[in-house]
Amino acid sequence: MRRLHLPARVLWLALLSPLPVARAAAPAPPPLMQALEAELARTAELRLPDAPPPYLVSYEVLDGEVATAEALFGALSSTDDGPYRMLRVDVRVGDYALDSGNFEGNFGDRSGTRMRLLPDEDEVLALRRELWLATDEAYKGATEQLSSKLAAREGSVRELGPDLLRVPPLVTEPALRPAVPVEPLEALVQALSARLQGQGLEEGRAVARSWQGVRVLASTEGHRAWLPTGFAVLRVEAATRAADGALLRDAVSWVVPTPAQLPPMAELEAEVDQMVAWLQGLRQAPVEEDYLGPVLFEGPAAMEVFRQLLAPELAGTPAPERPPEGFADGEQVPTARIGRRLLPEGWTVVDDPVAAREQGLAGGYDHDFEGVAAERVELVQDGVVRRLLMSRVPREGMDRSTGHGRSLGADRRVAMTAAVTVQPARPRSPSRLERKGLALARQTVQPYLLVVERLEPPALAEDFRVAFSGEAPLPGLTRPTRAWRLYPDGRREPVRGLSFVGVDRRVLRDVVLAGRVQEPRSELDAEPGPQRFGIGVVGGLPVTWSVPPVLVGELELHGAGGREQRVLPPPEIGLAGPVRTD
Amino acid sequence: MSPIPTTSPRALAPPLFLLALVLAPPLWSHARADARPAPPADLDPLHAAVQAELLRSWELLQAQPEPAYWLQLAVVDRVTWTVQATHGAAGTWTEDHARLGDVDLRVGSPELDNTHKIRDAGWFSEEERARVDLPLQDQPTALRLGLWRAVDDSYRAAVRQLIKVRANDAVKVAAEDESPDFSAAPVTVDLRPSPPLVLDGEEWTDRVRQVSAVFLEYPEVHDSNVSFRAVDEVQHTLSSEGTRLRFPRRHLRVAVSASTTAEDGMQLEVYDYVDAASPDGLPDAETLTRMAHGVARRVTALRHAPLVDPYVGPAILRGRAAAVFFHEVLGHRVEGHRQKDEDEGQTFTDKVGQPVLPDFLDVDDDPTRARWGDTDLNGHYPYDDEGVASEPVSVVDDGVLRGFLMSRSPIEGFGRSNGHGRRQPGAAPVARQGNLLVQARRTVSYDQLRARLVDLVRAQGKPFGLIFDDITGGFTFTGRVTPNAFNVQPVTVWKVFPDGRPDELVRGVDLIGTPLTTFQRILAASDQSDVFNGSCGAESGWVPVTAVAPDLLIQEVEVQRKEKAHDRPPLLPPPGPASSTPREGT
Repeated sequence: MRRLHLPARVLWLALLSPLPVARAAAPAPPPLMQALEAELARTAELRLPDAPPPYLVSYEVLDGEVATAEALFGALSSTDDGPYRMLRVDVRVGDYALDSGNFEGNFGDRSGTRMRLLPDEDEVLALRRELWLATDEAYKGATEQLSSKLAAREGSVRELGPDLLRVPPLVTEPALRPAVPVEPLEALVQALSARLQGQGLEEGRAVARSWQGVRVLASTEGHRAWLPTGFAVLRVEAATRAADGALLRDAVSWVVPTPAQLPPMAELEAEVDQMVAWLQGLRQAPVEEDYLGPVLFEGPAAMEVFRQLLAPELAGTPAPERPPEGFADGEQVPTARIGRRLLPEGWTVVDDPVAAREQGLAGGYDHDFEGVAAERVELVQDGVVRRLLMSRVPREGMDRSTGHGRSLGADRRVAMTAAVTVQPARPRSPSRLERKGLALARQTVQPYLLVVERLEPPALAEDFRVAFSGEAPLPGLTRPTRAWRLYPDGRREPVRGLSFVGVDRRVLRDVVLAGRVQEPRSELDAEPGPQRFGIGVVGGLPVTWSVPPVLVGELELHGAGGREQRVLPPPEIGLAGPVRTD
Repeated sequence: MSPIPTTSPRALAPPLFLLALVLAPPLWSHARADARPAPPADLDPLHAAVQAELLRSWELLQAQPEPAYWLQLAVVDRVTWTVQATHGAAGTWTEDHARLGDVDLRVGSPELDNTHKIRDAGWFSEEERARVDLPLQDQPTALRLGLWRAVDDSYRAAVRQLIKVRANDAVKVAAEDESPDFSAAPVTVDLRPSPPLVLDGEEWTDRVRQVSAVFLEYPEVHDSNVSFRAVDEVQHTLSSEGTRLRFPRRHLRVAVSASTTAEDGMQLEVYDYVDAASPDGLPDAETLTRMAHGVARRVTALRHAPLVDPYVGPAILRGRAAAVFFHEVLGHRVEGHRQKDEDEGQTFTDKVGQPVLPDFLDVDDDPTRARWGDTDLNGHYPYDDEGVASEPVSVVDDGVLRGFLMSRSPIEGFGRSNGHGRRQPGAAPVARQGNLLVQARRTVSYDQLRARLVDLVRAQGKPFGLIFDDITGGFTFTGRVTPNAFNVQPVTVWKVFPDGRPDELVRGVDLIGTPLTTFQRILAASDQSDVFNGSCGAESGWVPVTAVAPDLLIQEVEVQRKEKAHDRPPLLPPPGPASSTPREGT
């Protein structure tokens, strides 16, 4: 480290000394920001021989408290709480037109993004040591990534647009991270999972997590921001077994900004009890072996249909470039396209994170992870895509971020839905939807209409065929966990064992009728791609969707029963599913 | 807004994983904490719930067409406290409570059961092990529901596996070792108290924070960590034979590590630690500070040490290096189950009664031993994971092979367990090491040993000899598909010159070789031994182990270049007030 000689030091002190006037000195920034600023300043000296220096260094620190509690049948099985301070550093070399980003190298290749846990204590020097090491690694990774990208482009005649959009720096006042006590979550999961005991269930689990904190941004572009962030998730799941041995699962979940915004206990209990009753009834339900006909999606299932099929069509971030010789050789066809008809005439789709934040919905926020103010975006008009959600990664014809740059962990910040409202042209009453559905069923020689109320969320999907291709047609949608047959006489009969066959976005154009937009519903999700699958119970980013129930003219579903029964009865009288008797 | 994004890990371990047996000191990275209350064993609700479900399941399973002939339920009730610090800033004192359950169930008969190895099997042919979801609270219904599902899953998996075993047995030629799959063991009831472990979290947080600041004085130390970890376990093991065990196990560790990158890109790390079975055995702040300075100075010195080229010549393995060497080279090869597994190299299977080591060496494995001098031994345990009391085993006596480490899977000539069936919770037990103790009947002082090394260097016309002073761990391959070799990974290696020049610290090599050749070249042992406490990873997961050995003079060893990274060292100097020269003393 260079040291100032005395005369220079004296001059420096003189310049910095406050004048003897009655003016309060600006308060020092919090220690974390002091550390970020100090190391950002030093990045100007970063230089590798024969390689460009960084043109942009961005620090993002998730600084918060997290509490998680899990209970099995009324007894705690896991509990955890404490601070969480994770650094994400993104170093880019090159310039805004062509930089090291937006490139996905071969397996094991490094990038300019690094994650590193930071000390919980506000010791500036200790924080700076971690920042120093992470920035150094990220710069080296970015340099390699740029060279790989240039090599991949060698000989290519494709004309490619810029890599990163300029944005004005975001500067906010410091915000504190709130405490997140675990005890209320423990009490909640114990109470709710206790309701699963003695109900003939094999599995009964409740898990809750609350993460509350700030996203601290600091960059060489001038960002100095503290963005309050957080969510709470509660999930109760249960399983029982049908007579043929099929394991039947169902779950209810809530995603809200803070635990205080969860519904009242009586409402939570009622939903849990309803789930239990559903599972108990489902044990005797028939297997829906093959179905080809109209399907009515109601409640959470309608939300899942739009979330799974529509979200990738609204995110405008182009796919990253890939090496031509790579495993996933990538002349990738962009999914989201302006001008594509996605929905019937007259339908609109809007994403408005700020309004959602004002309404206290989990998907809402004011600024995205890149420090860009969130915009209301009218994505679909009259059923046709007119605009797309954008992060700072531009695409042809779209050179402005809409403030939707988010993603999990170290992933590239890409456009991701936040708070979507799908509005049909002419909402119909529930009875009208059912009547129309039954009429369509008659036309396809089905004695009943299939109604789906819940789909397995992708984050928990066990059937990876939804995301990855195989020999059979992709299901396209996750499996229904609550479905029934609606007969013309009004009788409702639960069915089980269903999977979709070959669904894709085109079914949305075939929506025959839709109801009124339902209450907003939030879930945890990820940016479009296979990372949406298998996130787990409490991982992901909150999104909110407000959608109508929809009647689709024709869908194909295949059903399968179970294979293996339990041998031992459970250790509680009357608790059980069936037991093999041979 | 995802603080801890989670994914569904579906990583597939390559088949070689099962062959590579790894030894390493595990790098584990407010208020006063008391462990769980300790009810009398007979009133322990967890123990009672396990017992009730064991009896009920056992009775029901007897009525099945393929009845179980042995059932064991085991629960490790574990509380772990940790705190770590870096560069003068501490993390949070955390307490983690977990209950880890295991179901071990056998169908068929002791002669041939579902655990029998399927020969020439494809990948993923091993029997599925049931997941056991156990609550932390002593709620009998929730506990028993978790156990019920696991027993039922285990039973159905066992029946499926037995069908495959029988078919495989019919298709294949007779096995070389036709020993049964299971042996009888004495029924034991031993319910020990588990007094609470009392820790002062604030004190330990302060201590690791203060000690971690030491590294700020060493500009060439790039990264560092000081950690405290305490594990307080109570193991419950209950079997259909009537065995009922409840016993505590404690392990505490303070560790100091520092790393740097050499100018040639090699990542260098020095790790020092103290293990103990109680807080009294851990170092005070002053001792820990000295450890930190020592680690910092060693890693700084290593950064400037020259590389060694591949070399063959005489060497001394200091105690810890010799201990790891014996753990890898001998210990894994005398684990009982390997003697009847025809995919294994079976180096020693047919050598019982024959010399395998120089006649001045004895090797025992004694899990009953709790201490070596003042050092608590990691590989101490009263009962193994099959409910069998641990026993001292004479493996080599006067250089002659005498016995093997046995689980309840018998082998030809060794029909019973000697209490070495071990596992990490979640895995099936196999024979594993506990405290491997290498002792010499004829010794010389270390100075004499060193003088003999210099003589050997001269006699062999070598430019230098090597002293392996400290090691991080090692691994070995015991199968037939890969070379039956070992690799011991030293941290500190010294060149010793025949002309009296001072020893020179060097870096960048691993000690390699094959077992039989290397054993033949052990020439002498010193009169001082050292202890390596660590964890060993193999088929049945990670288990705590100890190896103790004297310094050994070896006529000829081979070293190969160590794997290394290639990144330049950090481009900027570290932030902060570090001076350019490390402080001496302290």
